[in-house]
Amino acid sequence: MKKTNWLLLVLALVLSMFLVACSGGDSTDEGSSDDGSTDTEQDSGSDSEGDSEAASGEQVLNLIDGAEIPTMDASLATDAVAFQWLGSTMDGLYRLGENAEPEPGIAKDHTVSDDALTWTFNLRDDAVWSNGDPVTANDFVYAWQRAVDPDTGSEYGPYMMGGVIKNATDIAAGDTPVEELGVKAVDDTTLEVTLEKPIPYFESLTTFGTFLPLNQAFVEEQGDQYALEADTLLSNGPFVMTEWSHGEGWTLEKNEDYWDAENVKLAGINVKVVKDTATGVNLYETGEIDRTGLSAEFVDQYRTSEDFRIEEEPVLFYLKMNQEANEILGNVNARKAIQHVIDRQSMVDVILNNGSIPAVGDIPANFVSHPESGEDFRELNGDLVTNDVDKAQELWTTAKEELGIDTAELNYLGGDTEVAKNLDAYIKDQLEKLEGLTVNVQSVPFQERLDRDTSMDYELQNSGWGPDYIDPNTFLNMWVTDGGNNKTGYANEDYDAMIEKANNELAQKPVERFELFLEAEKKLIQEDAVLAPLYQRAAAQLWKPHVKGVIVNPMGPDYNYKHAYIEGK
Amino acid sequence: MTRYIIQRLVYMIITMFLIATFTFFLMKFLPGTPLSAADKLSEEQQQVVLEKYGLDDPVPVQYFNYIFNLLQGDMGISFQFDNREVTTIIFERIGPSMTLGVQAMVIGTILGMLLGLVSAIYHNGFLDYGSTFIAVIGKSIPSFVFAGILQYFVGVKLGWFPVALWEGWEYTVLPTVALAIFPIAIAARFMRTEMLEVMGSDYITTARAKGVNKFGVVFKHGLRNALIPLITVLGPLAIGLMTGTLVIENIFAVPGIGEQFVKAINTNDFPIIMGTTLLIAFLFIFIVLIIDLLYGVIDPRIRLAEGE
Amino acid sequence: MENHKPSKDLFVPVDRAENESEKITRPSLSFWQDSFIRLRKNVGAMIGLFVLLFIGFMAIFGPYMNPYGEFEQDLSRAKMPPKVEGLGWLGMDGMLTSVQTADTVEGAEEKALMRFNNQEEFITTSVLSEGGNGEPAEVEAVYDVYGAKGLEDQNFWFGTDGLGRDLWTRTWKGTRISLYIALLAAAIDMVIGVAYGGISAYYGGRVDNIMQRIIEIIVGIPNLVIVILMILILEPGIISITIALTITGWIGMARIIRGQVLKLKNQEFVLASKTLGAQDNRVLRKHLVPNVLGLIIINTMFTIPNAIFFEAFLSFIGLGLPTPIASLGTLIEDGFNSLQIYPHILLFPAIIISLLMIAFNILADGLRDAFDPKMRE
Repeated sequence: MKKTNWLLLVLALVLSMFLVACSGGDSTDEGSSDDGSTDTEQDSGSDSEGDSEAASGEQVLNLIDGAEIPTMDASLATDAVAFQWLGSTMDGLYRLGENAEPEPGIAKDHTVSDDALTWTFNLRDDAVWSNGDPVTANDFVYAWQRAVDPDTGSEYGPYMMGGVIKNATDIAAGDTPVEELGVKAVDDTTLEVTLEKPIPYFESLTTFGTFLPLNQAFVEEQGDQYALEADTLLSNGPFVMTEWSHGEGWTLEKNEDYWDAENVKLAGINVKVVKDTATGVNLYETGEIDRTGLSAEFVDQYRTSEDFRIEEEPVLFYLKMNQEANEILGNVNARKAIQHVIDRQSMVDVILNNGSIPAVGDIPANFVSHPESGEDFRELNGDLVTNDVDKAQELWTTAKEELGIDTAELNYLGGDTEVAKNLDAYIKDQLEKLEGLTVNVQSVPFQERLDRDTSMDYELQNSGWGPDYIDPNTFLNMWVTDGGNNKTGYANEDYDAMIEKANNELAQKPVERFELFLEAEKKLIQEDAVLAPLYQRAAAQLWKPHVKGVIVNPMGPDYNYKHAYIEGK
Repeated sequence: MTRYIIQRLVYMIITMFLIATFTFFLMKFLPGTPLSAADKLSEEQQQVVLEKYGLDDPVPVQYFNYIFNLLQGDMGISFQFDNREVTTIIFERIGPSMTLGVQAMVIGTILGMLLGLVSAIYHNGFLDYGSTFIAVIGKSIPSFVFAGILQYFVGVKLGWFPVALWEGWEYTVLPTVALAIFPIAIAARFMRTEMLEVMGSDYITTARAKGVNKFGVVFKHGLRNALIPLITVLGPLAIGLMTGTLVIENIFAVPGIGEQFVKAINTNDFPIIMGTTLLIAFLFIFIVLIIDLLYGVIDPRIRLAEGE
Repeated sequence: MENHKPSKDLFVPVDRAENESEKITRPSLSFWQDSFIRLRKNVGAMIGLFVLLFIGFMAIFGPYMNPYGEFEQDLSRAKMPPKVEGLGWLGMDGMLTSVQTADTVEGAEEKALMRFNNQEEFITTSVLSEGGNGEPAEVEAVYDVYGAKGLEDQNFWFGTDGLGRDLWTRTWKGTRISLYIALLAAAIDMVIGVAYGGISAYYGGRVDNIMQRIIEIIVGIPNLVIVILMILILEPGIISITIALTITGWIGMARIIRGQVLKLKNQEFVLASKTLGAQDNRVLRKHLVPNVLGLIIINTMFTIPNAIFFEAFLSFIGLGLPTPIASLGTLIEDGFNSLQIYPHILLFPAIIISLLMIAFNILADGLRDAFDPKMRE
């Protein structure tokens, strides 16, 4: 009797283990199989030749990405990962090429009317979707209308098109029907776009993800399932997505029907989601992947390697100072003191250690240059902030006198990246050099941080901005009164007037416009001290030497793999 | 017994309902919205988004909708991944976590029990201290350090197993070992304690006096005794391991649910938080029921069913 | 026959007082005294106790043993390796080494110099392998960091971290925080967990049923959600972590105690005690709890590292102690990033946490043995 009980127990234990093991095993297989049943479905859906085995040959790039793709729906995309892979599978009117020059995509060329308000794009007639449908001007009309349609709930549609394309703002507010959007298909290969006002950087804007075309019939057929899986999306670009295991990774294969297929040398790209830097480096060391990012510690270790590369990015980081909510930060001398007390050079050399450079204004270095002389914006305006502790103390004393205080306490909303913790500690230490100032670092979850920024519930905050198009406006336009991303309480009519003038009156006078932007930056940083610039980010990476032809973009998709190839592996 | 089980199953439903309710209102209590950049949206658009997630109704209505949908197995759609269903996302992610958890539990428990047995038999001897040391080190080195070292030395330097990623059985080896440290340490310690308890008891002395072999008697009687605390601790631990651990999943790039859960918390993805919570709670309650039933099997003197 | 009888005179009555027959040769000891004597005899346990006291002492006084402050930053002295006068042979000589490989010896040497910013006067290179035959050349470079930075007169016993903060001071300050969290977690376990589990199992039936359902609900709501609520209601920091631990930390213990008491409560000695009229309270305190003491101790030993690492985990996802406060957990996490190149940042906090755990465990084993009445000699 006792024996049977005993056996029963063992049996029960083993059984329960097995049950769980089986159910676990099954779902794993579905998630990770390379050529399981799900694959056949994907193949029929995406019209690609061969299965994923084809992607293991010579011309294959193996990459990692830090996060999974949140969405492949161009209208809903908001983050770098989504734009990267949209950019690899889709062609817009233009595509960002070498040196950030737009190269032809679906558009062969375009003409601009004399008032610079009407742009007519001539589309190629040999571009097709991966289901065989031709890419027509209607696909752009549909996509752009969809992006601004309030029912779509797109964040970037109204943000990118509002004030640019005629009626976009009114449509997004629900006041005007979508059909009124200033975009029209004259015929299948002619697209006519009417702008709200002259936009000098419109060509560069058309390379952005939100402006990609959509196949109306397909999108409507898929309904709310569109772009959720590899088999519910279409591509018209150099690559097609053949497999998408969300948390794990995705596979891209060359699109044989791509209009420029002969210039695409890669057979495929395998991407895996890897979040940990050390894991990436270890995978790189074992040859599993062709590129990995390095953190400050790994830079010391790999600086001497032949594979080591530094990519400069036009992404700026700065301290946002909430002048509305905080009395101390409302004082311009206090803000200037903060600008001048931080030692940026040591910060980028020791803490970041990845090739980042000190930021000394609101426009990054090597981003835009003077239309005539070709001099860099940054060179022309020089260092608008310096590290001068004595001057900072002086300004701080003045500020304290003006405010009638001896000591001050500021809350600092900390970041959540790997390097952020050290950076926050450093900035706290630097700011506390100002006599009588105490800085409290607060760490909150990511979304909470965004919410606090939106509701302006912060005092100091480390924040960053990357360009949406290549024009000083993308950085300077933010700080106009009540601008959507301003959130510092900075409201200055003169500054607003300058930005307004640059974008209207001077829209077709590049030199004067550029010079006005120079002046505006000086006002913003030097006179009004709205921000305390920190650094301009760079990425330290290891690249396998056999990877060639990858174009690094300053905006939109980080990399353009269209011309990439493998040589000498 | 059957009556007791049925009774417990009814309680289980009530508990699940209470947990669902609690989590729902906790979520309502947390600040934040699904709108990742609210001010980029016009008011009209915000309205559309809120409607899409059913957030425009008053809270009580939302609550009844939520419970009603839950009864039909619908947990809504995720905030961070547009239009993707919570159930799909969770089931996609739970597989790898389960595989690792079960493997680690089986290996860890067996090894840990052996270690504990050896410890007890050679009480205060070299082997005892040795296995205590292993168990303690296993527990006092943070899992991410252990996992990192494992990955570097076994994966990169020795090249015995894949460094990371999730592409087949051999990819589960290193994360499983990294996870198994917990059950090894715990099983070893509890086994040792209970074994020592048993070894001092009269019936073992009697059995030994009658000439029964040392290992046999200790194992047979000791194991049964050690099982009660062991299953009490290991049951919930198993749930913990099976439902994913952020660090291990991050280091070995495993597409598991732990990582997903933390990300959902960081991005206010309430439907995913609620879905995952309910899943973990269900597994936990289920395991507790099994454990309570096993108590009676292991030691017939324990009677849970009859109450005053 | 008479002769065979011994004379009564041969027997002298032993002079024994009445009370002496009742005398016990060994001194009378209470349970606790007895346990303490046994504990004192256990060498391992005593070493454990000593190590704990030592770490406690250092946590209190360590930060004042050198002139550097916990938050004192200086980027020019970042990532200095540890240096202790006279302990150079232990590797604590303030030197960094790096092995570089290249096709030729010259190439490797050049890389070795480049690795340490080409400060040649402070770099000693030695050729490990000449290379050739397809084998790369290997050159080892030893770099005198203290010399190169003009800090020969300074000693950072544990080195410095990425911001140039002295790790000795930070480590012991961090030990303070971690010890606080550890002791707090242990106390919660012992008080709430034991009482809850004991009561639940002892009274059984409906009481047990309700108490267990409450546990299920508490466990059902993830810890992380509770912590985030705390952080958003209070401020992030030690108080919100404390509260989060208090809410959920005792559950494991409660379940273990319950399991064990369920087993024990129907055994003969409990029944005997009850029959003799003992109150429930007495049965629980005098009979049941001492019998589960071993498990209580073992489980507490697991609670302590769990609590320490729970705090570290919170820091890992950015919800722990606000920067720049250190705990052993945050220090280890910080050091882990540079494990391969500046191992000293990880090493010392890791050693201390391991020592702490080993000491706790050996002491706990000793306590367990000491409290076990069956182990009495």
